[in-house]
Amino acid sequence: MQYKKLIAALSLIGFTSTPTLAFANDSTELEELRALVQELDQKVKILARKNEVAEEDAANSKKSTPVVKASEKGFGLESADGKNVIKLRGLLQADYRSFQDGANDVRGRSNNRAGSLDSDGFHDANDTALLRRVRPTIEGTLNGKYDFRFTPEFAGGSASVVDAYFDARLSPAFKIRAGKYKPFVGLERLQSGADIKFVERSYVTNAILPNRDVGISVYGDILGDKLNYAFGINNGVVDGGNASGAAEFDDNKEFTARLFATPFKNEVNALAGLGFGIAATFTNIDGERNLDFTNTSAADATRNGLPSYLTDGQQTFFRYGSTSVADGKRTRIAPQANYYYGPLGLIAEYARVSQEVSLLNSTTSNGATAFVAGSSKELNHDAWQIAASYLITGEDASFKGVKPKNDFDLDKGGWGAWEFVARYSEINLDEDTFKNAAGQYAAEGGTTLASAYADLTKSAKSAHSWVAGINWYLNQNAKIQLNYEHTSFEGGALQKGLAQATNNNASGSNVRDRESEGALLARLQIAF
Amino acid sequence: MNKTLLTIAVSAFALNLALTSVSFAKEVTLLNVSYDPTREFYVDYNVAFNKYWQSKTGDTVKVSQSHGGSGKQARAVIDGLEADVATLALAYDVDQLYEKGKLIPANWQKRLQHNSSPYTSTIVFLVRKGNPKNIKDWSDIIKPGISVITPNPKTSGGARWNYLAAWAYALKQNNNDETKAKEFVGKLYKNVPVLDSGARGSTTTFVERGIGDVLLAWENEAFLAQKELGVGKFEIIVPSLSILAEPPVTVVDKFAKKHGNEAVAKAYLEYLYSDEAQDLIGKNYYRPTSEVAIKKYESQFPKLNLVKIDDVFGGWTKAQKTHFSDGGVFDQIYQK
Repeated sequence: MQYKKLIAALSLIGFTSTPTLAFANDSTELEELRALVQELDQKVKILARKNEVAEEDAANSKKSTPVVKASEKGFGLESADGKNVIKLRGLLQADYRSFQDGANDVRGRSNNRAGSLDSDGFHDANDTALLRRVRPTIEGTLNGKYDFRFTPEFAGGSASVVDAYFDARLSPAFKIRAGKYKPFVGLERLQSGADIKFVERSYVTNAILPNRDVGISVYGDILGDKLNYAFGINNGVVDGGNASGAAEFDDNKEFTARLFATPFKNEVNALAGLGFGIAATFTNIDGERNLDFTNTSAADATRNGLPSYLTDGQQTFFRYGSTSVADGKRTRIAPQANYYYGPLGLIAEYARVSQEVSLLNSTTSNGATAFVAGSSKELNHDAWQIAASYLITGEDASFKGVKPKNDFDLDKGGWGAWEFVARYSEINLDEDTFKNAAGQYAAEGGTTLASAYADLTKSAKSAHSWVAGINWYLNQNAKIQLNYEHTSFEGGALQKGLAQATNNNASGSNVRDRESEGALLARLQIAF
Repeated sequence: MNKTLLTIAVSAFALNLALTSVSFAKEVTLLNVSYDPTREFYVDYNVAFNKYWQSKTGDTVKVSQSHGGSGKQARAVIDGLEADVATLALAYDVDQLYEKGKLIPANWQKRLQHNSSPYTSTIVFLVRKGNPKNIKDWSDIIKPGISVITPNPKTSGGARWNYLAAWAYALKQNNNDETKAKEFVGKLYKNVPVLDSGARGSTTTFVERGIGDVLLAWENEAFLAQKELGVGKFEIIVPSLSILAEPPVTVVDKFAKKHGNEAVAKAYLEYLYSDEAQDLIGKNYYRPTSEVAIKKYESQFPKLNLVKIDDVFGGWTKAQKTHFSDGGVFDQIYQK
């Protein structure tokens, strides 16, 4: 109706502009026209203003609307202010191990049980495909300062909790982590399982230093972010151990401490990527309290607070005798360093564990005296590694993952990132481990001073490994690793031709070196 | 020997004094979360307070200001905006800092003079030059064809004062008949073409965008628009009845304590009652509370019948629940 009026008005203007119709000028209609124009002008202004207000409201709403995120770093939800975040992440590693040489378990098993032996009398290690890590992760942040992480493990045929902790980031210099987590000790251990350069970590990490424990740590970055410190109190785990999360028998806690310096961080020079530090753990285990007296006959001695040690091919080459029990102080010390410069990465780490061990008085009864008097001994084992990596496609190496300059893409011609890696690592066990109170080599498992803590015919006293390999990063999420590892041993097997039930003798003449291990280790990894 | 020792001791003392004075002087940062129209006042006041505080302690105070609809600002603080002080449009919004956030004590209003309101204000009309629609009182702005500019009472403190002032007028005109008051205010909001979220937005709508015949405004905002935003383009109309607005202030104890700013935040608000601050309050067209400033600026403010929220509505909590809560009277009116 109003538009009709406007047309009429405009027509009227047209007529009034004609001299012959000048008399038709009607002031009333002009007033109506003016009012109409003003009314329309208001309406246009109102519409424009409403649009402005709507835009302001939309901008304000955006400030409070949660953000859905999906990227190569995972999937998640985030509050508009970024203070509350939840992320879904995952790690899948599918491995294949192919042994050219190498023995499986060499304990004194019968032929029938162990299967056929090779010409040297060793039971060959089995080639196998396996899922090494299957770990979905839910992690997030609450109120901008409180992080949490929950990572179960589904590899290995059963489910367990790998990580379950929260972090309170009260300030960069003071943070608290509590729950089940990687204790702040080993450098290579603190590197994510998705970012490790080799299919398996070194002896320093896998054999000596703790894997995961339950407890609490305070940590932070000080001195301009150039010195990282961490102190923790945890239940305590065996060498390379992963706490089950259950309550412990032993009341004593393990203390951890670590200092790691990056003095040239953020500087532009060749030393910017240098980091070095030292870590230590200490606990005093009450062996008797730690024992599960109702079940002392199981072959696996780790329940007695003592570890087994594995090769890179994950074959057990050392285990304590069934009557050996951790009883007394356990101290670990681990100097460590890494260096990154352009495509080059280096990591060097040493670890030494001093463990007091006693022998059980009886494997079947809960007597008044648990341990053989005078059987306590401090055993000192150490391990070290030096590893190098080089990205031949020119990406920068770092402690974290590799982001290829060009993702692998046949259509676009990208080939991802390629990295050569090499490592030497060894572990040396205390000679006294295999000797009795008289200082002679002896059989394990006995309940007298004539027994040793481990038998050199079944467990090696040292392992020396080198690994060479190549990593192909197809993109930030997919990686293919191929390692060849070779390990030689000192001791660890029975002389060929002796009856399999034979143990070590005082001179050690029953011992020969375990067959060297040579294995191709392959991995396909997806991580986000 | 003794003279040497004395010289060393005096030098050490002097050096110590010098170092002490240098190391103790620091810059303090405060965040003042306020409502829309106070921008200009606090710009002036912050300069005055910094000067005062520096002369008293040697420290400088840098005050960051945050402005928006009073209700929105209160929610922002409850949601984590770490204000050291909150200077909002009405007591209900400050109450929420206690009720929902436990950021302040329940008795916050008793901590400063005049129920923690260092100044008052009221609601007036701003019309275009010559008052072309001949608007004189509330009854004129509910007439058909009158375009009224006022912000959204759900988000703006000023808008709630506007609404309640209109309601109070309607009650008086209709012998406290709530139904007729609701009808009256309903007619008023039918004449509102745009609901801004804050008072400053409505001023922009009316003054800069040229929309509407009358702006329901804070008195200080009306003066500001008339004298600084559009000289000679507007007139202030004082209705026969309006409401006494008492915008309160408080230290946000939890955040001030966290920032180590408790003392300076407290002083920042206490200084609002000083002669210097009260003078600035008058200059910025707020009604001062000190006798000296009231007298000085007496002629600046028109005399009108001001009702109190406690007298007409039984206090802010009741008024909020009845009129502005979800599903309350305003929602019923505005959805029609």
